[in-house]
Amino acid sequence: MSRSAERLSDGDPVVSAAVEGREPALRDDCPQRTRQVPAFVWALPPLALLGLVFLYPLALVVRQSVRPDTGGTSLEPYADVFASASFREALGTTVWLAVGATVGCLVLGFALALVIAFVPFPGGKAVARFIDVFLSFPSFLITLALLFIYGTKGMANGLWTDATGTAGDGPFQFLTTPWGVLIAEITYFTPFVMRPLLAAFSQIDTAQLEVASSLGARPLRVVRKVILPEALPALAAGGSLVLVMCLNEFGIVLFTGAKDVTTLPMLVYSKAMLESDYPAACVVAVVNIAISVGLYGLYRVVSRRAGA
Amino acid sequence: MLVHSRKGKWATWTVFFVLFLPLFALPLLVIVAASFAGHWSGAFPSDLTAEHYSAATRGESLQALTTSLLTALGASLIALAAGTWAALAAAALKRRGEGTSRLSRGCGRILDALFIMPVAVPSVVVGLAVLVAFSKPPVILNGTSTIVVLAHAILVTAFAYQSVSAAILRLDPAYEQAAASLGARPAYVLWRVKLPLLLPSLTAAAGLCFALSMGELSATMMLYPPDWTPLPVRIYAATDRGATFTGAALAVVLMGATLLVLFAVSRIRTRASYR
Amino acid sequence: MSSGIRTMDSGIRFDSVSVAYGKSVVLDSLDLTVEPGEVMALLGPSGSGKTTALRAVAGFVRPVSGRVFIGGRDVTALPPHRRGIGMVVQQYALFPHLRVEENVAFGLKARKTARADIPGRVADALEMTGMAAYAKRYPRELSGGQQQRVAIARALAIRPGVLLLDEPLSALDAQLRSGMLAELARLHRELPDVSILYVTHDQVEALTLADRIAVMDRARLRDCGTPQELYRAPRTAFTASFVGNANLLPVSVGVGSVSLGGAEVKVDTSGVAAGVSATLCVRPHLVGLGPGPNSLSGTVTEVQWRGATHRVLASVAGHSVKADVRELREPPALGSAVTLHFAPEDAVLLAAGVSDE
Repeated sequence: MSRSAERLSDGDPVVSAAVEGREPALRDDCPQRTRQVPAFVWALPPLALLGLVFLYPLALVVRQSVRPDTGGTSLEPYADVFASASFREALGTTVWLAVGATVGCLVLGFALALVIAFVPFPGGKAVARFIDVFLSFPSFLITLALLFIYGTKGMANGLWTDATGTAGDGPFQFLTTPWGVLIAEITYFTPFVMRPLLAAFSQIDTAQLEVASSLGARPLRVVRKVILPEALPALAAGGSLVLVMCLNEFGIVLFTGAKDVTTLPMLVYSKAMLESDYPAACVVAVVNIAISVGLYGLYRVVSRRAGA
Repeated sequence: MLVHSRKGKWATWTVFFVLFLPLFALPLLVIVAASFAGHWSGAFPSDLTAEHYSAATRGESLQALTTSLLTALGASLIALAAGTWAALAAAALKRRGEGTSRLSRGCGRILDALFIMPVAVPSVVVGLAVLVAFSKPPVILNGTSTIVVLAHAILVTAFAYQSVSAAILRLDPAYEQAAASLGARPAYVLWRVKLPLLLPSLTAAAGLCFALSMGELSATMMLYPPDWTPLPVRIYAATDRGATFTGAALAVVLMGATLLVLFAVSRIRTRASYR
Repeated sequence: MSSGIRTMDSGIRFDSVSVAYGKSVVLDSLDLTVEPGEVMALLGPSGSGKTTALRAVAGFVRPVSGRVFIGGRDVTALPPHRRGIGMVVQQYALFPHLRVEENVAFGLKARKTARADIPGRVADALEMTGMAAYAKRYPRELSGGQQQRVAIARALAIRPGVLLLDEPLSALDAQLRSGMLAELARLHRELPDVSILYVTHDQVEALTLADRIAVMDRARLRDCGTPQELYRAPRTAFTASFVGNANLLPVSVGVGSVSLGGAEVKVDTSGVAAGVSATLCVRPHLVGLGPGPNSLSGTVTEVQWRGATHRVLASVAGHSVKADVRELREPPALGSAVTLHFAPEDAVLLAAGVSDE
C-alpha cells in the first residue's frame, strides 16, 4: 500500500459509506443511459425502411414460389421447375460461366496488377485510374463493344474477309455462344479483382522484395514465395465477389442476344416478363438468391479475415 | 523492383499492353468510333457522321437521358441518406465505448449483413420482388416512375452503406472524444465534427451510387413504365432492333453524363477534404 | 444536475476506481487525490493503467467499481460532455475542417456560451499560448509544436477546473519538448487554480513539471510523493528503477551495515530489521570509480561512451552495477578488475516487504 492510498482510505467516512451503498447500481442505473436514446433505437428507422422495400418483397417472392397458379400451398412449382430441361441447362450454364469467368479474372487480374504494382512504368497511375472509371460503367457496354469487334459484320470478320478475299461471313462467330458471354464477363469483371489486389500490393514492403532478389531469388520465385502469400486474401475476396456478380449478371447476357445462352437471371426475366409465369420465376429467383447470398456470406467471411 | 533488366522490363510492359489495350481500352474506343459511323463492315468505320448524336439528343432519347439523370439523382440521394443513417447506427451499436455489450455488437453485425445483402441478391430478382410486392394493394406502384427509383435506391443503398461504414471505421475516435471533452453533446458532435469529417466519403459514395444507377439495366427491365424509360433500356431497344450505331451514340452519351457527374462530385470532394 | 458543472470546479479524486475489459483488469482500485491547483503526474510504462485512469476522469471508460470525483462532485455516471474538463491528447485531435480560432471556439459554442463573449475568450486563450497570430490558419498549416499550443488553447478556452494531459509532448521532437515543458510550467503559474493530471512515461517530464508524482505499474498505483521524495528516497524497487534507473542490489541486513555477496557496505539501516534480506538502491551517477567509503570490487562487463559521461557496467558478486562517471580519458578494458564506491548517504535500503515483487 502506498502512502497516498493509506491517506485516502481514512478519508471521509460518510462519503465512503454512501459509495458502498450505491455500488451495485453503478453499471446500469446511470443518467447517461436513461437520458439518452439507446443506440438500437437509431437503427430502427433505416431498418424499417429496408424491411418494407427489400426484405418484405423478398419474402413475398419466397411465398409466391410455393403458391402455384392452381392455388393452395405446395412445392409443386419447385418440382416442375427442377424437372424442366431449360432450368437445368440454365443452372449448368450459369455455374460454369461464373466459375470460368472468375478463374479468368483471377489469372488476368493478378498478372496485370503485378505489372502495375511491381514493374512500374510512367502512366501506371493513369492506368489504375482508368480501371476505376471502367468500374463505373455498366456491364452491357462491353457486349455492345464486342458486337462491333467480333460481330458477324464486325471489325475482326471484316479484316479477315478483306485479307483473304473470301466472300460471306468471317470465322469469328462465337459471340452468340457462351464463349462470347465468358469473354465479356472476364473483360468487365477483371478490374474488380485488380482493385483489391492493387490495394494489397501497396501494403507489401518493397524492401522485402529487394531482400529476396538480393538473396538470388528469381522474379517468378519472388512472386510465388513473397507476393502470392500476401495477395492470397485479396485474391480470395476479389474472386468470390466476382463469382457472385457473374452468377447475377444479366446485362451482358441480354445484350448478346443469343437464344441458346440462358442463365438463371435471364430465366427469371423471361419467365416473368415474357411468359408471365410468376411462380416459376419466383422459384428460379429463390434458387438464384440461395446460391448468391450463400456465396456472398462466404465472401464476407473471407474478406473480413483478409481485412479488406 | 521485380524485373531488373531493361530487356525484361520492356518485355513485361509489352505483354501488359498487348493484354490491357485490346481488353479494356479497345471496347470503349470502339463504341466511340461506332457512334460516329455511318457504315462499318471493314477494319474501320466509314461514312463518318454526327447524325446518331443528333438523334440521341432529341425526342425520346433526350427524355431517356433526363429520366436516367433524375432516377440516378433520386436513388442516390435516398441511398445516401438511408445508407449513412444505417451506417452511423450500426457503428454506434458496434462501438459505443468499451462497455459495448456482446448483444449490441451482434445487432450491429446483423445490420451490416442486412444492408449489404442487396449486393448479393441478383438485380433481376430485386426487380421481380419489387414488382411482386408493389403490384397489389395496399401499395400499388406498378407502372410509375417511383417503382424504378425505388428499385435503384434499394440496389445502390448497399454500396452507400459499405463506403460510409468503411469511412466511419477509419474516422479517428479522438476527434469525437475531443469534442465531447469540450462539452459537445452527441448530436452536436455528429453535426459539427463527424459529418463534416465524413463529407469526402459521403460525396464519393454519392458519385458511386449515381454511376451505378445510371447504368442499371437488370431491375429496370422488369419495372420501367413506357413513360419512364431510362437510357440503358433505350440503348438495349436500339441495339435489339439493329440500330447499333444509334445504340453506340446513346452509350457514349451515357458514359459522358456519368463521367461528368463523377468529375463534378470529385471536385466537391477535393474542396471538402481537409487533409 | 441541470446546471451541469461550474467551470471552475477543481480537484480530482479517485475512490477505489477499477477498470476492466472482460477479465483483464487494466486499473486496479486506484485511490488518488489531486488537490485544487496541483499538478499530478501519472508516471509509468505503457500498459501500466495511467492512460486508463485519465480516461476514467474524462468519462471515456466506465469504471466497473469505484467513483470519480471532480471538484468534490461525483461524476462517475456523467457522460464526458457534462464533466467540465479540458483535455489534450498525444495527437492533439484538432478538428481538421476548422480554423484555429474555430477550433478554440468549439467548446464555447458547444456549451452555448453567450455569443458576444466568445471572440474575447478565444483571443485570451490564443494569447496565453502565443498562437494569436495563427487564428485564421487551418491545423494542417501548423507545425507539431504549434498544433500542440492550439490544442492547449482549445482545452483552456472553456476554463476548465481540471486539465487532463495525455502524453502531450510525446509527438514532439526532443528540442521542442523541453521548450513546451517550460511553457506548460508557465501556463500553470498563470492558472494557479487548475488541477492538472499529466500522464507520461517520461520521468524527466514528470520530475520537471509535477508537484507530486503517482507511479503506476501493472494497473496499480505503486508509489506517490513529491519528485524529491521519489527520487531521493524511493519506497519501492519499481519506483527506484523507473525513476532514475537505479542500481538494485539484493543484500542481507546487519546492524548499521549490509552485506553484498560477502562485502560489507555501510548504509543507514534504520527501519529495516537486522538479519532479513533487502534491496540496496544506488543511483548510477552517485557511483564512482576507484576506492572510497563503500568499495565494491568487480569486473568490467561493458563500457558505453555517452559523450559527457561514460557508463561502466561491472559485475559485482554476480550482480550488474551501473556507474555513470565523467568522461574518462582511458576507459577501463573489458574484463579488467575495477573498484566502485558510493557514499553511505547516497544509498537507500528497501526492505523486501516494500518491494512490489
